[in-house]
Amino acid sequence: MFPVINSDYCKGCNLCVEVCPKAVFVQGKNITPRGYFSPLVAYKERCTNINLKKGERILCEICWLTCPEHAIEFEVI
Amino acid sequence: MEFFEFYRKDRWPHQFCPGCGLGTIMNAIYKAFNDLKMDINKTVFVSGIGCTGRVPGYINADSVHTTHGRALAYATGIKLARPDLNVIVISGDGDLFAIGGNHIIHAARRNIDIKVIAVNNATYGLTGGQLAPTTPYNMVTTTSPYGNREYPFALADLVAASGANYVARWTTAHPNQLVNSLKQAFTTRGFSFVEVISQCPVNFGRRNKMGDPVFHLRWIKEHSLPISKVSFDVKTPYDILDLNTKGIYIIGELVRRNRPVYGEILREEENATSIE
Amino acid sequence: MLTSGRYFLSGNVITAEAALLAGCRFYGGYPITPSSELMEHMSARIENEGGVFIQTEDEISAIAAVIGAAMTETPIVIVDVMRGGPSTGQVTVVSQGDVLQARFGSHGDYETIVLAPNSVQELFDLTIKAFNLSVMFRNPVILLSDAELAHMVEKVDVPEKIDIVGYNDYKIEGVPEFVPVGIGAKLAITGLTHNEKGYPVTTDVQVHRNLVTRIVNKIINNEPMISDVEIINPDAETIIVSYGISSRAAYPVLKKHKDVGLFRPRTLWPFPESKFKDIAKGKRIINVEMNLRGYGLEVERVGRKYGAKSFEFIKLIGGEVPRPSHIEEVL
Repeated sequence: MFPVINSDYCKGCNLCVEVCPKAVFVQGKNITPRGYFSPLVAYKERCTNINLKKGERILCEICWLTCPEHAIEFEVI
Repeated sequence: MEFFEFYRKDRWPHQFCPGCGLGTIMNAIYKAFNDLKMDINKTVFVSGIGCTGRVPGYINADSVHTTHGRALAYATGIKLARPDLNVIVISGDGDLFAIGGNHIIHAARRNIDIKVIAVNNATYGLTGGQLAPTTPYNMVTTTSPYGNREYPFALADLVAASGANYVARWTTAHPNQLVNSLKQAFTTRGFSFVEVISQCPVNFGRRNKMGDPVFHLRWIKEHSLPISKVSFDVKTPYDILDLNTKGIYIIGELVRRNRPVYGEILREEENATSIE
Repeated sequence: MLTSGRYFLSGNVITAEAALLAGCRFYGGYPITPSSELMEHMSARIENEGGVFIQTEDEISAIAAVIGAAMTETPIVIVDVMRGGPSTGQVTVVSQGDVLQARFGSHGDYETIVLAPNSVQELFDLTIKAFNLSVMFRNPVILLSDAELAHMVEKVDVPEKIDIVGYNDYKIEGVPEFVPVGIGAKLAITGLTHNEKGYPVTTDVQVHRNLVTRIVNKIINNEPMISDVEIINPDAETIIVSYGISSRAAYPVLKKHKDVGLFRPRTLWPFPESKFKDIAKGKRIINVEMNLRGYGLEVERVGRKYGAKSFEFIKLIGGEVPRPSHIEEVL
């Protein structure tokens, strides 16, 4: 699973770039339909927190929780 | 419940500025509400005037957007008339503590079963960034162009001293802890208060060299101190407020009490459940 | 609660008992002379009837608590017990200084319904009517009592059957179906100008007009239904226009002088134009009040509109209650 930014809602605040503990996002130059510069999901393979006890691959979801526009969704590879 | 069942999809994207902490708080409220599986039909959201006051208008539930500062007064009326409803007040620091200062300390004193989420962005954001009772010393606002000459309130401590059952302070840089704290607040009987330090990059940060939401969030994170890392002499607990004066926010769960709740003893005596 | 029969009680106590009989189960207040006895009596009685009482930290939170409870389906009635003003004024002395404030006190366009009793029996009857009107029109109703009536002790007859109006008993134009908070209706309530969904829309001229004209018209257009007046001797040359405590001076005058009549509105606002217009033409109007500029302004305006001949004003301030001799001096 990896995060995807919904460009209809993103307002280009770059908080996801700041809070991600794995540096998955970088600031971007793409313009959204509403005129904002949205970040890019540059390193989606880094998006993972392996829970060693249970051996499962879970996500921290801090980007989803922080994004003020609720513009981040998760998609399965 | 899906995110867009909890929030009104026909009003999305919301009107708040890019990078506003309110968006993060809205995510946290949804997550706490959903994880607890609370009943949206039995919840009423009350707010006052300000950017935070607009949040209940986006929630797909009974929302009451009242006059400036009086959110807790209306919430008291609603809760007393319908004790079976969950009443949650979501409002800003200026609305709750400046004009509404009187109402919140009395609501906390009565320990009435209302949950309050106070969003503290250290300014009057919606009206353009004026001075608030929570603006840190020396900061620039539109009504303090040479720097604020007053010292800020410590909101959570004020409510704790008034008698609330649950008091916590978190920031938008600590979203997971915020969600857990909200869950605790929603399930505590009595007056529960969660203060959230939030960034206001456009109307506050911008005037203090923090116009980028990232910089403002970093500033908040650097100025937060978990209560477990604070050492203070038990004989003089008010020293903790000196940290607030120096511009440090002490975060964590400050109070967990079990004081009697307003109206509950009376209800048990009467065996009445609600006013019909 | 009071059963039918004859009682000898003071005005404040009767107002409280009448409210309970009308179905009032939520009371929010702040003590102020001369209304404190009403609150004290309520605090003892309302919980016996299964109601809720709260004394709040100030008047603003009291009315806010009442409005909050009203959103869960309770009508709101405000009892204003008038005393000397302005500002802190004369604490224990009567006046009629709140007449214009009850109607025009706030900003923007809105309407209030204001009732003015002139005896303890009428305090009882009009309190019940206030709750009924408030339910019918979904509007705040102000009961204008005063320091004299509140403390006066007179006989009161409580009838066998009291008519209480339910929320859906009347179908009045401009008054929509009532939806309370807490039934899962997902209401969006806001003080900002809003559209029919409840979403704030503040920059659209038509949205504002739709909202405000509806809430204003539902009262103005139904004024004949709301108005309640006492008219004695309408064909007389001279008509005394008075209300509340001041109107009690008129009755002895009417007994002695057969060419004098009385127009006493029990509903001050909306102005009972539908009842006044038939009387005013060609008459000499004497307005008796305990304020300097009050109801007389509206009496003169409407009187001139319908062709009254002349106006005289007896204005007593400072706590001097009008006596029949004040009126006879003018006659």
